[in-house]
Amino acid sequence: MNKLLLGAAASVMLAQPVLAQDKVLTIAGSGGVVKEISERVFLPAFEEATGWSTKFVAAESNILLEVRTMVASGQMLYDAMEVSASAYPQAVREGLLEPIDYKLLDPNNELPDKAKKEFGVVAASYSTVPVQRLDKNPEGRKMESWSDFWDVEAFPGPRSLKQQPEYNLEFALLADGVALDDLYDVLGTEEGVDRAFDKLDELKPHIPVWWTSGAQSVQLLSDGEVFYSTTYNGRVGKLQESGIDVEIMWNGGALHTSHVGIPKGAPNYEAAHEWVRVRTMRPDLEAEYVKHLPYPNFAPGLFDAMTEEQAKTMPTYPANADLQFVANEEFWADNIERIRERFDEWLLE
Amino acid sequence: MSVAGLNFRHITKRYGPVVALDRFSLDVAPGEFMTFLGPSGSGKTTALNILAGFTSATEGDVLIGDRSVVDLPPEKRNVGMVFQSYSLFPHLTVFENVAFPLRLRGASADTIKQKVGSVLDMVKLADFGGRMPNELSGGQRQRVAFARAVVFDPPVLLMDEPLGALDLKLREQMQLEIKRFHAEIGCTIIFVTHDQGEALTLSDRVAVMRDGRIAQVGSPQDIYDRPESQYVAEFIGRTNLFQLRRGQGGTWDIPDLAAAVSGIAEANLSQAALSVRPEKIRPVPAGAQADQIAFDAKISDVVFQGDHVQYEAVAQGGKTLIFQDHRGPGSELLPKGLAVRLGFSASDAVPVERETA
Amino acid sequence: MSARSYLWLFLPALALLLLFILAPAADLLRASMFDPDFTTEHFARLVTRGVYIDVMLRTIRVSLIVAVCCTIIGYPIAYFINLQPRSRQTILLFLILIPMWMSILIRTFAWIVVLGRDGLLNEALAAVGLIDEPVRMLFTSGAVLAAMVQILLPIQILTCYAAMTEIDFDLIRAARVLGAKPRQALMRVFLPLSLDGTITGLVIVFMLSMGFFITPALLGGRQDTMIANLIEFQVQRLNWSFAAALGLVLLLLTIVMIVLLRGLGRMAARRILKAGL
Repeated sequence: MNKLLLGAAASVMLAQPVLAQDKVLTIAGSGGVVKEISERVFLPAFEEATGWSTKFVAAESNILLEVRTMVASGQMLYDAMEVSASAYPQAVREGLLEPIDYKLLDPNNELPDKAKKEFGVVAASYSTVPVQRLDKNPEGRKMESWSDFWDVEAFPGPRSLKQQPEYNLEFALLADGVALDDLYDVLGTEEGVDRAFDKLDELKPHIPVWWTSGAQSVQLLSDGEVFYSTTYNGRVGKLQESGIDVEIMWNGGALHTSHVGIPKGAPNYEAAHEWVRVRTMRPDLEAEYVKHLPYPNFAPGLFDAMTEEQAKTMPTYPANADLQFVANEEFWADNIERIRERFDEWLLE
Repeated sequence: MSVAGLNFRHITKRYGPVVALDRFSLDVAPGEFMTFLGPSGSGKTTALNILAGFTSATEGDVLIGDRSVVDLPPEKRNVGMVFQSYSLFPHLTVFENVAFPLRLRGASADTIKQKVGSVLDMVKLADFGGRMPNELSGGQRQRVAFARAVVFDPPVLLMDEPLGALDLKLREQMQLEIKRFHAEIGCTIIFVTHDQGEALTLSDRVAVMRDGRIAQVGSPQDIYDRPESQYVAEFIGRTNLFQLRRGQGGTWDIPDLAAAVSGIAEANLSQAALSVRPEKIRPVPAGAQADQIAFDAKISDVVFQGDHVQYEAVAQGGKTLIFQDHRGPGSELLPKGLAVRLGFSASDAVPVERETA
Repeated sequence: MSARSYLWLFLPALALLLLFILAPAADLLRASMFDPDFTTEHFARLVTRGVYIDVMLRTIRVSLIVAVCCTIIGYPIAYFINLQPRSRQTILLFLILIPMWMSILIRTFAWIVVLGRDGLLNEALAAVGLIDEPVRMLFTSGAVLAAMVQILLPIQILTCYAAMTEIDFDLIRAARVLGAKPRQALMRVFLPLSLDGTITGLVIVFMLSMGFFITPALLGGRQDTMIANLIEFQVQRLNWSFAAALGLVLLLLTIVMIVLLRGLGRMAARRILKAGL
């Protein structure tokens, strides 16, 4: 009797994994609300499309660390993973990612170039953008570019930037007339960095405060302590709702992208591409996702489902995306130590 | 400035409903050593504070010399003062403490040096000028406080229970010193104390205070030998009180002793009692003597105190009294329980106003 | 039995001192010198780049100004309280303690509300017609100083008050009756006797100022950066060794300054008192 029961139980326990084993896709990503929304929006769609089941693993704070260990041991447990903007260059350098097969993923070439990286596809994005208090602008004038942001005669008033070198150097170069596409070529040279700092010198006296958190940047604008400041695009909507007359200037904004990628030695390389497609190319799903988390990607036709007003607030809206540069996290990963020390000391001067 | 007398004129001080001083009037002669004696709450310190300018009088006037001082701040009254806790400035040396009033008066460095030197000499602390107050003994501090109070030759010197913090022996020694200082300086001294011994030793006159008024003022001997009230008689030294009842033909009955006395002049005392100091009562031989009041008693307690013996005895009527024997040549202790005949001279008995309880 | 037999009473304090002061300080030293191998580069960076020297000097300067301001404002307040009747003293001390129940963060934020472009002060000044345009008050050194003084003032008031209650009032009476005008009694007796406590308060305020970081961070501009801000900044940057070196420098500067202040403060105060009388 006992033996019989035990045997039956064992067979059940064994049978289930065996059944599912071939058809489970394991995805690693952030926990919390990201996991919650992903499980509600993307996972069912994937299961419906493929008949596979899915397992979403909320990885510890540093996914890269786990993946590095798995690659080293030859035992890759994940099929797909989130790759944050800052993790991407490092993962690429260490060879932790499989290249994306765009023939497989996007045979009709629907994704814009900005969305396609060699080892990942843009899954979410946000922007660091300059914002202006329209009510503080001189009569009939409006900032159009970083040159305007730097022009304290035409647009007098206090300004703020984030207290870090990242992207501020880019902004300075743009203000100094460097073209979007040449940004990182210029910044890659010592003269370029000098040029950026020289340009920042001009604006320094007009920056009473350097912000350190997104909340602070919005507060400064809201209180009128500064008239012009960079901030994250996701925070501007709330500011406008509270009755503050602010507007994003997309021209020259920094677009930050995070990616979905496939780790080296992933067990289900092809099925993982299907997941990438579901995550990055389905406007219906993405529209639903963006309702909860304001970090859109480049899913083709995403904006067809939105009102134009709504679409214009999205950093990946083509008219907005075209004006911005994609923040080059690889550059910053390579140069941060050197430039940050200089920036920190420059701030104190 | 020379020595000045002072006058309190109808000083009244009220704290809300409480009357601390009640129409207090007193004239003090120049150079006189006047003591305010009384228990705490009797108004002696209030009178001193009004004189010094620390408190203002509700009514009345105070004159130093012939100048009214009630409207002057303390620093303009030019009086010296010795405090109960010395109140030496702990951050200044002995020399600087004593020099303090002179510096404030703008004296020259030479004058200061000379005056401080001579006053420190007088209090026998000539070598202590460089010490800090906390390096001194209690008696030394007392003398510094005194030196500081008189260095600027104030016409009046106030002393607020200055010996209260010293032990008995030192206190007696300091009493003599103060007497000597007074003789040397000659200024008017107002001395406040609750210690009757101190008052009797030091003073030219004593004002016995009670409930904001002067109960009696007079020389120590007056106060002791001729108290005017039971209060004064009992506050100064010890005494025996016998009730008096008006008898016949100008005599007074003493019911406690089953005796009578005549020749008491102050017959107008409404509530009279007879005060007899313990040392005035002594054993007497049987048989009446003129001018002697004698009675039978039994010794109930014997307290040997070296130079004298204090006896407690119970008179026949049950009244307990005390008497002292100052052990002249050949005197012997009387045993407890001994039946004795005691007596005192009528001239040693002082009629006083009795307390109406 | 000598006092020596009671030395063990110090053991708990000694243990705490070792565990929570000396050990961390030693660790700080280690962290600043090994990164991961022995190096003096962090200290060299501190000394050779002018900006860090500037920050150190500024930290000392700001702390000194705050300590002196707290003393100049706090001493008379403590004196005033000391003159009140007992019951009123209790109420006044209570009122002074109330702000200390609030966190420094909240008190600092309150200053933002007061000093902002659209803040109370600017609106008040505009309402009276003194200004047409809002004046920049936030993110200035003045804002930092004002807030630090306001935050630390209760400490100096309480320290001064404690020192003053120790003074026997008869000493003042003695001074008066010996010929001192009220002001002279204050200067010659009360002030010297409360001087020690006042200098102690000044040193405490100075010491606390040296480590201030929230207030300069929120109310000051980059020109108001203090050592503590640098430390926080470097910790955020994960520059542990440099942060440790900064921390050690802050510790040493504070100790040296305290010793200097106590000595110089007393000497200067004595001299001023003597010369001024």
